[in-house]
Amino acid sequence: MGVVLILALVILGVGLVLERAGRRRAELSLGERLRFETLLSEQVATFSRISVADVDREIQRALRRLADFLAVDWGNLTEYSNDGQTARVTHRWVAEGVGPPPWAIGFDEIPWVVTRLRRGELVRFSSVEELPESEAAVDRQTFRRLGIKSQVAVPLTVEGVVVGALAFSTVGTERAWRDELVQRLHLLGDVFANTLSRRRSEMEGQQLRQDLAHVGRVSTMGELTASLAHELNQPLTAILSNAQAAERILDSDTADLAEIREILADIVEDDKRAGEVIHRLRGFLKKGTLELSTLDIGELVGQVARLVTSDAIIRNVAIRLELAPGLPPVTGDRVQLQQVVLNLLMNGLDAMREPGLGERTLVLRTSGAGPAGVVVAVEDSGVGIDVADLDHVFHAFYTTKPDGLGMGLAIARSIVEAHGGRLDARSNSQGGATFSFTLPGIEKEP
Amino acid sequence: MPATALVFVVDDDAAVRKSLARLVKAAGYEAETFASVQDFLARRPHEGPCCLVLDVRMPGLTGLDLQETLRVAGQRLAIVFITGHRDVPVSVKAMKGGAVDFLTKPVDGETLLGAIQQAVARTLADRRQLARVTEIRDRIATLTPREAAVFALVVTGMLNKQIASKLGVVEKTVKVHRARVMEKMQAGSLAELVRLAGEGSVMTAG
Repeated sequence: MGVVLILALVILGVGLVLERAGRRRAELSLGERLRFETLLSEQVATFSRISVADVDREIQRALRRLADFLAVDWGNLTEYSNDGQTARVTHRWVAEGVGPPPWAIGFDEIPWVVTRLRRGELVRFSSVEELPESEAAVDRQTFRRLGIKSQVAVPLTVEGVVVGALAFSTVGTERAWRDELVQRLHLLGDVFANTLSRRRSEMEGQQLRQDLAHVGRVSTMGELTASLAHELNQPLTAILSNAQAAERILDSDTADLAEIREILADIVEDDKRAGEVIHRLRGFLKKGTLELSTLDIGELVGQVARLVTSDAIIRNVAIRLELAPGLPPVTGDRVQLQQVVLNLLMNGLDAMREPGLGERTLVLRTSGAGPAGVVVAVEDSGVGIDVADLDHVFHAFYTTKPDGLGMGLAIARSIVEAHGGRLDARSNSQGGATFSFTLPGIEKEP
Repeated sequence: MPATALVFVVDDDAAVRKSLARLVKAAGYEAETFASVQDFLARRPHEGPCCLVLDVRMPGLTGLDLQETLRVAGQRLAIVFITGHRDVPVSVKAMKGGAVDFLTKPVDGETLLGAIQQAVARTLADRRQLARVTEIRDRIATLTPREAAVFALVVTGMLNKQIASKLGVVEKTVKVHRARVMEKMQAGSLAELVRLAGEGSVMTAG
């Protein structure tokens, strides 16, 4: 996946209680070394055989065991947000009588440490004063604010890329980190890294399977809609023919009002029948499929963009995300809205299939709309839409693709409208087309 | 005044049948409706001016099946297809099979009536042509074998002398047969005889 991967930072805050400090400063005894080696080898064995579902529990257990051995106060697994700006603690261990660390630490709060970790370097300090005074001024300030006195942070590397770090720090007291201990922790870091990497790839596989299932559902929905559309065509045909017959009858010299009345009754009847077909379609869209939850639209859009990244690379298309910060949350069905974004992205990629288009860029943009609404726009630099086609693109069975069903946009529009939003298309002045949809914000309870 | 043309409407949807029949009647045609191809085939062929408005997809036999059945039976009945699906292969097949038009539901009344008008005219023209061919063939059937042989050679442009030599008779005999052929075929000239031979798809003898 082409999205910059989350840097998982494991911060294990190691707090040493004062009376233990003296003992720890001395060389590790043979017994302690044996215990530590045993602990490490057991962790390696455990992590190598556990299933993905158990990773969280095992990380938690490993943190506790290490914390117990090292007599620490804090143990945290921290992941960075999609935008790479903040860190989020996903696992932590906190010793009794010690305040917990914050749930999020910004990169800009420990820039010196993060820079080193990202280079794959180990960071170790016995006291905050050991950090370079000017270069690490911000880091020093942050550690002081958090009460961290000393720390050892091990980068987690997967296939040459630093995806995280395993760190030990002390709270309330300073301590020395012995070389042999640090080396062994570095080894443990690799074990953590492999485990996290394995989990990530399995989760991506799982995500892919889910997405395939969704695509399957869309096509099922497409087939169903096709049959419903056929049923809709019959009453529409009858209504049109009846109305045009009535016009002709009225135009003739011998207009039979009784017949006109009969025709009107039939038109009403056929209209009701058409209404029932639509009602059934709505029922299907709602039934069991609309699961409303509060969504971060930027996150949702980013996830879908990640799905099509490899497709885009193959097609030599650059996907650019322009996500407005601080958008209000929206209420909607995650899966259905993902389908809409996926459909628009795939359409955009398809629109850039023609050779000789020059720069191929697909821009995925979010912005605010009104007091609480959001807009998601997909802008391609493809062939654009003929003015004549603009009216038809949302119609069922309308397609310009040789292998298209002509259902995608029709379904996308019905999903967006079911969410109280609108889906629009327009041609760009510099070529290409933009499809955008709005979603209303959450109405505040009075 | 010519007889009012009759439009057959075959569609499995009752409301569609009824409304199309109304529209057709309002435009001055007679209409008869059928819920299936089988029902329509049970009706004896109509000899007056007529055409067929035919749904493509129906349970049982489809519109295309009916088109093929009529073709095999040698019935001249022009068809206007109406369909709920824009299906290119099906429409190509229908048009190749001689359909007047292939319209998508919901069909605009003017478009449909225009197609019906064309179809009625096509049915008439097809039947006239069929009647003409039948008549010519009937005339050919009255020829004796020797007359038929002379006829077949005359229309290839052979001179009496050549025909006589080819058939192994004297030129005078050919002349007599030729006069009988012109009389029986009701041809006033050699040119007319050749045209009749063409219309009647008479195979010239080799």
